[in-house]
Amino acid sequence: MSSQILQALTKLFALITRQDGGATEFERKFVIDYFVKELDQDSVHEYTKLYDEEAEYGKVQDNKVISMKDSVRILKFCREINKGLEQRQKIIILIKLLELVASDKNFTAQRRMIIDTIASAFNLKEEYTGIESFVLSEDSSTITGDDILVASTSNKLISPEAKYLKIENLQGEITFKQIKSADLYFVKYVGEEDVRLNGFAMKRNEVSLFSNGSSIRLPRGGSIYYGDITAKFLENLQGVKLSFSAKNIQFTFASGDIGLREMSISETQGKLIGIMGGSGAGKTTLMNALSGIETPSGGSVKINGIDIHQDKKKIEGVIGFIAQDDLLIEELTVYQNLYYNAKLCFDKLSEKDIHDKVMNTLDSLGLEHIKHITVGNVLNKKISGGQRKRLNIALELIREPAVMFVDEPTSGLSSKDSQNVIDLLKELSLKGKLIFVVIHQPSSDIYKTFDKMIILDKGGYLIYYGNPIEAIVYFKRETNQADSGRYSENPEEMFKIIEKEVVDEFGQETGKRQLTPQQWHERFENKIKFDEVEEIKESPPSSLNRPNIFKQAYLFTIRDFLAKISNTQYMLINLLEAPILAFLLAFIIRFQNEPSTGDYVFRYNDNIPAYVLICVIISLFMGLTVSAEEIIKDKKIQKREQFLNLSRFSYLVSKLIILFLLSAIQSLTFAFIGNLILEIDGELWSYWLVLFSTSCFANVLGLNISSTFNSVITIYITIPLLLIPQMILSGIIFRYEKMNKVISEKGKVPLLADIMVSRWAFEAIAVDHFMNNQYMADYYKLEQNINQNNYKITYWIPALKTRLERTLDNQKKKPTDSIKNVIRKDLALVRHEIKYENAYVDKYLKNYNLDSKLTPQKFDEVALTKLVSYFDSITVKFQEKVNEATKDKENLPDLIKKNRDAKYDINKAKNRYYNDGLEIFVTNFEVKDRFVEHEGKILQQIYPVYNEPKEFAGWWDYRTHFCAPKKHFAGMLFETYYFNIGVIWLFTFLLYITLYFDFFKTLLGGFGKISLGKKSK
Amino acid sequence: MKKFSLILVLSLIFTACGGGKSNSGEELLKKDKEAKNNKPTAPAISKEVLSDIVKSIPSPLEISFLIKDLGIKYDKNVLNSADNTSKYNTGYKQALNLGIYSTDLGYANIYQQTQDALYYLTAVNEMAKGLKIEQFFDFNTIKKLATSSNNLDSLLLVTNTNLEKINERLQEKNQADMTILILTGGWLEALYLTCEVAKKQPNELLNNRIGEQKIILDQLLLLLSFYEESNNIKSLIEDMNELREIYENVKISYEYEESQTKEENGILVVDDKTTSKINFTGKDLDNILNVTKKIRQKIIS
Repeated sequence: MSSQILQALTKLFALITRQDGGATEFERKFVIDYFVKELDQDSVHEYTKLYDEEAEYGKVQDNKVISMKDSVRILKFCREINKGLEQRQKIIILIKLLELVASDKNFTAQRRMIIDTIASAFNLKEEYTGIESFVLSEDSSTITGDDILVASTSNKLISPEAKYLKIENLQGEITFKQIKSADLYFVKYVGEEDVRLNGFAMKRNEVSLFSNGSSIRLPRGGSIYYGDITAKFLENLQGVKLSFSAKNIQFTFASGDIGLREMSISETQGKLIGIMGGSGAGKTTLMNALSGIETPSGGSVKINGIDIHQDKKKIEGVIGFIAQDDLLIEELTVYQNLYYNAKLCFDKLSEKDIHDKVMNTLDSLGLEHIKHITVGNVLNKKISGGQRKRLNIALELIREPAVMFVDEPTSGLSSKDSQNVIDLLKELSLKGKLIFVVIHQPSSDIYKTFDKMIILDKGGYLIYYGNPIEAIVYFKRETNQADSGRYSENPEEMFKIIEKEVVDEFGQETGKRQLTPQQWHERFENKIKFDEVEEIKESPPSSLNRPNIFKQAYLFTIRDFLAKISNTQYMLINLLEAPILAFLLAFIIRFQNEPSTGDYVFRYNDNIPAYVLICVIISLFMGLTVSAEEIIKDKKIQKREQFLNLSRFSYLVSKLIILFLLSAIQSLTFAFIGNLILEIDGELWSYWLVLFSTSCFANVLGLNISSTFNSVITIYITIPLLLIPQMILSGIIFRYEKMNKVISEKGKVPLLADIMVSRWAFEAIAVDHFMNNQYMADYYKLEQNINQNNYKITYWIPALKTRLERTLDNQKKKPTDSIKNVIRKDLALVRHEIKYENAYVDKYLKNYNLDSKLTPQKFDEVALTKLVSYFDSITVKFQEKVNEATKDKENLPDLIKKNRDAKYDINKAKNRYYNDGLEIFVTNFEVKDRFVEHEGKILQQIYPVYNEPKEFAGWWDYRTHFCAPKKHFAGMLFETYYFNIGVIWLFTFLLYITLYFDFFKTLLGGFGKISLGKKSK
Repeated sequence: MKKFSLILVLSLIFTACGGGKSNSGEELLKKDKEAKNNKPTAPAISKEVLSDIVKSIPSPLEISFLIKDLGIKYDKNVLNSADNTSKYNTGYKQALNLGIYSTDLGYANIYQQTQDALYYLTAVNEMAKGLKIEQFFDFNTIKKLATSSNNLDSLLLVTNTNLEKINERLQEKNQADMTILILTGGWLEALYLTCEVAKKQPNELLNNRIGEQKIILDQLLLLLSFYEESNNIKSLIEDMNELREIYENVKISYEYEESQTKEENGILVVDDKTTSKINFTGKDLDNILNVTKKIRQKIIS
C-alpha cells in the first residue's frame, strides 16, 4: 500500500470515529492494532499521529451532523483509494471500517451513513448490505443469504438460505461469508474456544480474510480447509457429478522396470489435485495411466464407473490433457489457435457461438488483448511464457473436459505467471472440474492452493495422498521433528525430510536414505486412511461434438493452410525453389548447338534425357523435403488432439491436400520455366502430370518417414537414403543391361528398379515425349512399322535361319552331349520364336506341326527347306510393309501441307519438336548387339520404343523392357505414359495405406524391441 | 477411391487434349489411300534392266581421279557441308544426299583429306541410317581405312563395294527408287564438281566428260520416270528436264541412237546403243553449271 493510500485510509478512519461524540479509546486501539499489523514500527507512530490529529482525539465532539467539509473530504479520500486499490482490497478496507465502528458498538446512524457513502464511492453498494450484517451481527440466525456458510455442531439456529457445514464438538459457530464479485471469503468465530486460523487464535467476532490455502484448526481435533469451504459454496455451480476412481493401478515398463506400484486414487468433481515427487518417482507415468494415454499393467481407472482404458468411446471428450510442451501452432494467432480447436470440438455450434466461446475463453484467461498476435515459437517469442501456458490451457478449457491433467504447468514461468496459472486451474476446479496437476517445486502459495496432494517416491511408491498442509505435518511427525504448532508451508522442507540421508560420524551424508521409499509407503498404508468416494452412475459430461471426417479434413486443411501462408519464409522458399532450380538447370544445359549459326536448336540438345531425369529427381526431392517435417512437427499437437479422437484419415487427407497443391504449383512452375528455356514445345502438361505425380508420391513418402522417425535429423538423413537408389536405378545414369546379374534380367527392367518411381516417371516422360511430340505423332506408327519389320528382316530371320542350318550341320556331327544340347536349344528357340511372331503362320505354315517337326529327332533337310521357304515368304511380307510405310512416310509431309497446315515444313517441325538425344536413348541405337539370345528366346535390343510387348507370363505380367511404348496388364495393353502414371499413383496409394496404419513405425518399433531385448540380456 | 477417380479425370482431360487432332498423320494417309485406291499403279521396273543401267553409270569417283590427275587443287567449298545432315529428314532427301555425300567422300578421299573424309563418312552413315540400310555400310572398316592414308586403293574399293551393296540391297527390297535417287545424287554432285573445276580451269578432257553426261542424264531420266507418281521425284524430273534441254545443244555425233524401251512380258527393258563424240561450247558449260548448281542447291538445302 502506498503512503498516499495509507494516508487516505488513516484519514477515513479518523473522520468516521470523530463523528458522534468523537473517537473512543476502543476505536483508537483498533486503529493502532491495524497499523501494527500492516506497518513497521516507525510508520505506526507516524500514522497514529496523523490519525490523532485528524480524529481530534481527546476533544469532545458535539455536533450531531456531518459537516459539509467532512463529506467532501471523505469523497476525496475514496477517490484516491479507488485509484490505487483493487476491488478486493477495497472490500477488505470496507470490512475494516465496519469492524472499527463495531469495535465499541457505537454504530450510530451518522457513522452508518458515512460508511454507506464510502461503500457507494467504492462501487460496493451491492455487496455492502450483506457485508454489514455479517460484520455487525453476532447471531448467525440474523445473517442470511446464500453467500453465508455456518459451521457448527447443530444447524438449529441457522437461517434456511445459508449453507451449513456440520462439525463435531465446537462451542459457538464459525461463519463464512463469500463475496462473489471479488472472489473472497471472510470468516469469523463467535464462541469462546481456542479456534485457530492458520495457527493464530481467532478472537470472538473478529472478521478475518479466509484466504487461499487457509485452514482452521478446531480445538478438539479436526480442521476446516479452504477447499472444503469453497467446494461447499460452489456446489451449485458444479452441475455435474463425477467420480474418478483408480483402483490398485500399477505400471510396468516394456523393459521390465516398475513405473508404478499398486496404488488407488479416488476423487470427486471440483478438486485440484497435485502430483509431486522427485525425478523418477513416476509422476508422468501416473498421469499417463490416469488419463488413459497408457494402459496400466494392473488395476483399473474408472470415471463414473466407465473404465477409461476399456471403453474409450464412452469417455470421449471427458478427459483433457495439457502437456508440458507447447502444443500451439506457431504460425497462427492466439485467436486462430483457439478458433480451429473449437471448430474441431463443436460441430453443432454456429459460427457466432464459436466466436463467442473463443472470446469468452480468451477473456477469462486474460488473453483477449493479444488475440491477434501470432504465437511464435520459443526462440522467436511473440507472446510471453505465461501467456503461452494459459493459451495451452485455453485450448483444453474451451471444450470443457470434466477431468483435466496438466503436466508441470509452471515450469519455466515467473513466479507471478505461475501463480496466475495455478489460480486459473483452481478456479476451474472450483467450477466443478477435477484437475490433476504434476507440479515441481511449487512455492508455498501454490502448494497451499491444492486440495489434495499425491506424493510419490522413487520407484513408483505412493507415500502420501491427502491434504497438502497435513502432508508437511505428517512427514515431520513421522521423523519425530518438533511440530512448532504453526503450519509450515514450505514444500521444499517436506522433500528434505522424505529424502533425508543417514549422516556419518563426521556429519557427512552417506547417500543412504533414512527411510526408503518402500518404508514411507508402508507407513502411509498404515497411518493414512483411504477414503473411497461413492461411484456415480450417471454418464460423465462431455461437450465434445466432433464434425464428420470431411469437415474435419476441411478444418485441418484450412488451419494448416493459414499456418503455412503466414510463414513468409516458408512460402517464399517453397514457391521460388522450383522456378529457380528450373532456371538454373535449363540455362546451364541450353547450349549453342547449331554448328553453322551457333544458335540454339532444341533438336540438337543432347542433354534432354538427362534433363528429364533431373526433373524427376528434383520433383522427388522437393516433394520429400516439403513433407518430411509435416507430421513430426505436429506430433505434440496430435498428442493433445488424441483426446478429441479426431480422425487420422481427415488429418492425413488435409496434409495431402495442402502438399499436393503445393506440389502441383511447384511442378508446374518447374516444368514451365525449364521447358520454356529449353524450348520444349507443347510438352508442358505431359511433363507436369508426371512430375506432379512423382512429387505427390514423394509427399506421401515424406509423410511416412515423418511419421516413422522421432527426430528431424533422422528424417533428413533418411532422404538421401531414399533418393540415391532412385537415381541409380532410374535407368538413365546406368543402363539396366549393364548391372549386376543379381538384380538385372535380360530384356526386362529389373524388379528392383520397378519399385523406383524415378524409373516409371522418367520412362513415362521420355517415351511420351518421343512418341507423341507434335512432329513424331504423325510419323511414329510409320517408323514403328519400318523399324520393327526391318529388324525382323535384317536380324531376326537370319538369326533363325542360321540356327536351323546349324542344327542340320550339327546333326551330321558325332552326337556328343554338348552337341545334342545345342541342337535341342536351337530348335526350341526357333519353335518359340515362330509361335510368338505368328502373323503369317496361318498363311504359310498352316497345318505344319512345329512341335513335332522341330525336334532333334524329326528335324531334317525337308523341314529346313520348308522353314526357309516360310522365312523367305514372310521376309517378302515384311518388306512389303516396310516399303509401304516408307512410301507413306515420303508422302506424309505433302499431305500435311495440303490438308492440315499449309506452312508445314518437316525440317522446322523436327527441329522444334524432335530431339536427337532422346531418340538415341529410346531407340537404343548405339547398342552393338541388336538382339541377344536368352533363355530360348531372341530378345530385341534395338528400338525398344517401337517394340510392343507380346509375350506374357500371366494376366499380371506387367514387365517389359525399358522404354516400351505399351505396357501389359490384365490382358490389355496400355500406353506407357498412362500406365506409368497409374503405377506412380498406385505406389502413392500404397504409401498412404502404410501411413494411415503407421506401418513403418510399427515395423521399426518391432526391430527396436528385438535389439533392446538382446542388450538387456 | 478418391485418388483413382482423380487419375481417371486427369487422364480424361489429357486424352481429350491430346486426341483433339482430327488430321493426324495416320488419318491423312488413310484418306489419301482411299482417294488413290482406284488408280492403277505404274508398272514395276525389271531388276535386270535396272541393274544394267546402274552398272553403265560410271562411278563418280572416276571424275575425282581425273580432276586430281589434272593437278587441280582440293577445294572444300564446292562440296556439300557435312553439317547439313540434319536437314535431310525424308527418304527422298536422304537418298539424294547419300549420293552427294558419297561423291564428296570420294573426292576428299582422293585428295587424302582425312578429316574431311571422316566428316563425309559420318554424313553418309547418317543418311544410310535414315534409309535403314546402315547395316550394309561397313562404317568401321571404311573409317579405319580412311584414317590410314596409304590404303587409298583398298579404301576406294571398299567404298565402292559398299555403295554397290547398298544399291543391290535396295533393289532387293523393292526400293529401287532409292537406288535411283542415290545414283542421281552422286552423278549430279560429280557433274557439278566437274563443271566448277572446268569453269575455273578450262580443260578439253573435262569438257568432254561433261558433254558425255548427256547420255547418262537420259538414262537417269528414264529410270526416274518410273517413279513419277511421287511428287518429289516428279519435281526432280522437271528440274532434270531443264538440264536435258540445255544438253540439247550438246551434240554427240556419230552413231547416236536414243535408248529404247520395250515391254517384255509386262517388264520394261531398256536397250542402250550409244557411242559418243562431243560438241561442246563454253556457253554450254556455263548453262550446265548454272542449272546443275540450281538443282543441287534444291537438294542440299
